[in-house]
Amino acid sequence: MKRVLAVVLVLAAMAAAGCGVSAQESILDKEKLVIGVRTDLPSVGFRRSDGRFEGFDVDVARSLADRLGKEHTLLGVLAADREKVLRDGRADLVVATFTIDQERKRRVLFAGPYHISYQDILTRPDDTITNVRDLAGRRICEVQGANAAKRVVEERGVAARVVPFPDYKRCLAALKSRQVDAVTTNDVILAGLAGQDGSGLRLAGVQFNEQRTGVGLAKGDVPGCEAVNRAITSMYQDETMEKLLRKWFGAEWLNRGVVAVPQFEGCS
Amino acid sequence: MTVVQTPGAAPAPAAQAGGQPPQPAQAGPAAPARRRSVPGRIRVISGVTVASLALLFAALAVGSSSAREGLRVIGRDAGPQVVATAGLYLALSDMDAQVANVLVMGNGYPEQRREALARYDARRAEANRSLLEAFELSGDNPVERMTVQSVLDGLGRYERLAGQALLLDERAAHAPGPPPGEVVRTYREATDLMRMVLLPQAYNLTLESGTIVRATYDDKKFTVPLLRAAVLVAGLVALACLIWLQVFLARRFRRVFGPALVVATVTTAVALFSGLAVLDQDERALRTAKAAGFDSVLTLAKTRAISNSMQGDQSRYLLDRERADTYEHTFLDKSLSVLYYNAGNLAKYHAAVAAGSSTALGMLGPELVGRQGKEVFQTYQAFQAADADLRRLAAGGQTGKAVAARLETATTAFAGYDQALVRLSDSHWKVFESAVERGERALDNLWRLLPFAIGAIGLLVIAGVWPRLKEYR
Repeated sequence: MKRVLAVVLVLAAMAAAGCGVSAQESILDKEKLVIGVRTDLPSVGFRRSDGRFEGFDVDVARSLADRLGKEHTLLGVLAADREKVLRDGRADLVVATFTIDQERKRRVLFAGPYHISYQDILTRPDDTITNVRDLAGRRICEVQGANAAKRVVEERGVAARVVPFPDYKRCLAALKSRQVDAVTTNDVILAGLAGQDGSGLRLAGVQFNEQRTGVGLAKGDVPGCEAVNRAITSMYQDETMEKLLRKWFGAEWLNRGVVAVPQFEGCS
Repeated sequence: MTVVQTPGAAPAPAAQAGGQPPQPAQAGPAAPARRRSVPGRIRVISGVTVASLALLFAALAVGSSSAREGLRVIGRDAGPQVVATAGLYLALSDMDAQVANVLVMGNGYPEQRREALARYDARRAEANRSLLEAFELSGDNPVERMTVQSVLDGLGRYERLAGQALLLDERAAHAPGPPPGEVVRTYREATDLMRMVLLPQAYNLTLESGTIVRATYDDKKFTVPLLRAAVLVAGLVALACLIWLQVFLARRFRRVFGPALVVATVTTAVALFSGLAVLDQDERALRTAKAAGFDSVLTLAKTRAISNSMQGDQSRYLLDRERADTYEHTFLDKSLSVLYYNAGNLAKYHAAVAAGSSTALGMLGPELVGRQGKEVFQTYQAFQAADADLRRLAAGGQTGKAVAARLETATTAFAGYDQALVRLSDSHWKVFESAVERGERALDNLWRLLPFAIGAIGLLVIAGVWPRLKEYR
């Protein structure tokens, strides 16, 4: 009788301890990951007419899922949805040109950055903008949920006029129809847009702000974030990242800067 | 005393047979039947008692080794690894900052130039030592080893480029401020290599140590209490068995208590409670080492690393006009990650820091408690104030004065801030070390006595049971 009681006690203790440990769900406990990628950025995160996703971020997302040993499905997100899909659990990871900043870090846990890009300026071919200061008095497009235009005005103190648009497609149309004079954001986004457009829109090549592009996770998933960081390190160590950059932005792109593991933000 | 037979058979039919003469020690007709099963029952109860004692000591051994492993990983592996890799980052970052300082000095500061170059050499030696140490501590982790090797390779290239830039700068003999374009271009190659390839790897090594500690702690936080519960259950079962054995013997043999078994019971109880106490103490030691020691040491190491590259960004801002915007931006970005204020640009940030409102955000936020924390904040304010002056002078075209501000007030302010960080980190390091030591000492003491206790309990149980069994021979 006593032995039975002892066994029951041990089992009860184990069950109680077991329940307490997994309060925070980690992506590592899942078999299949839902990864949010952009739908509106050619060469970065783009939904083709046949519904499939393609681009640099999409390939990074796939490689990360493989390295974590997980199956995955992709979920299309726009800039404004990125925090929301993580918060309400619709996506486990967000790989969608998500720039790390302190304000966002209050709500999102960032692994990476997996890529350092710079802010650049896209103009019409006939325009003469060569520097961020040349944007003073000009109209620049702002895509809702992105913070690049705000950085020009607030951080650099350049008196540009910010015109909001819901996505880059309409932003680009506005640039060509002279409703705005410039589009400013991550250089990779601009390169992809200009490449797809094909009408000779010009990248100023000013590289004025460092943009740390990270992988978004639900706040609190520290083990998941650390695993993603290790996966990113291995993507640089076996040169996958260099291959992907060359594949999507061309060999010339690699001359813009050094391709090396970025300094991680840290998961805690 | 005679024993006719001792089979484990059911007592009822044997009693009905009634073939045995009544035994003197017992009365009544049922006595022979019960008597026959007595040695068997003594053996069974003793066996259960010994098994539960074995279980208790096995649980104690597993619990102790688990706690000891946690203390080793956190205290002897990852802790020192953080110190080594943070030292590497600081040495590398300061090498690049010293080169930038020399380049921005031009021909204006011969004395400081010599000092800066001497400091560059000292930092280089430090970096080499830290690399060796980090390599040793990385053990058989292939990713970490590859990282250390890659830093070693890159450092050679960096030194060549930095040497070129310094040589070109010396030949140019320019006034304090931005050197000629050729120098700037060579330095850019060097600083990009340092800031984009070498420093991130050193920083990520530090983070990796944090990951190891976090994973070990989370594991131990779960297993040590579980093993402690197992020890408690096994111990209570063992005590119950010992008491059961005594009560059985006392009833059957009409004795009060066998002194040997009483001592065995008391010894088991003492071993149980001291084992529980030690495991509890170790659980607390692990928690203190992690939460009050290691976490802060790691955070402050990260803060020191980032802050050091901030003062390098000041010099780079002055020497490379073309990239000045970028360097100012990275300075702001790093400032925000050190101590966060909702400020959209550097001027607003300076104002917010000067206003001195407390904030718990940014990596330094939670550390700014107590007298030492306050000191860190005040010195950080002074450093940011010096930065504001420097940028005001540079923006107003007073390059010479801006360079002087960088080399004098900003350098002094940064040194004060850095020393305050070191003092704060040292006091957390002491907490960390003493917690690890306390935990290990408690385990050592327990296991110095426990083998004797196990031996004694075993002998006492035999001494308590053997004479009773002998009565049936």
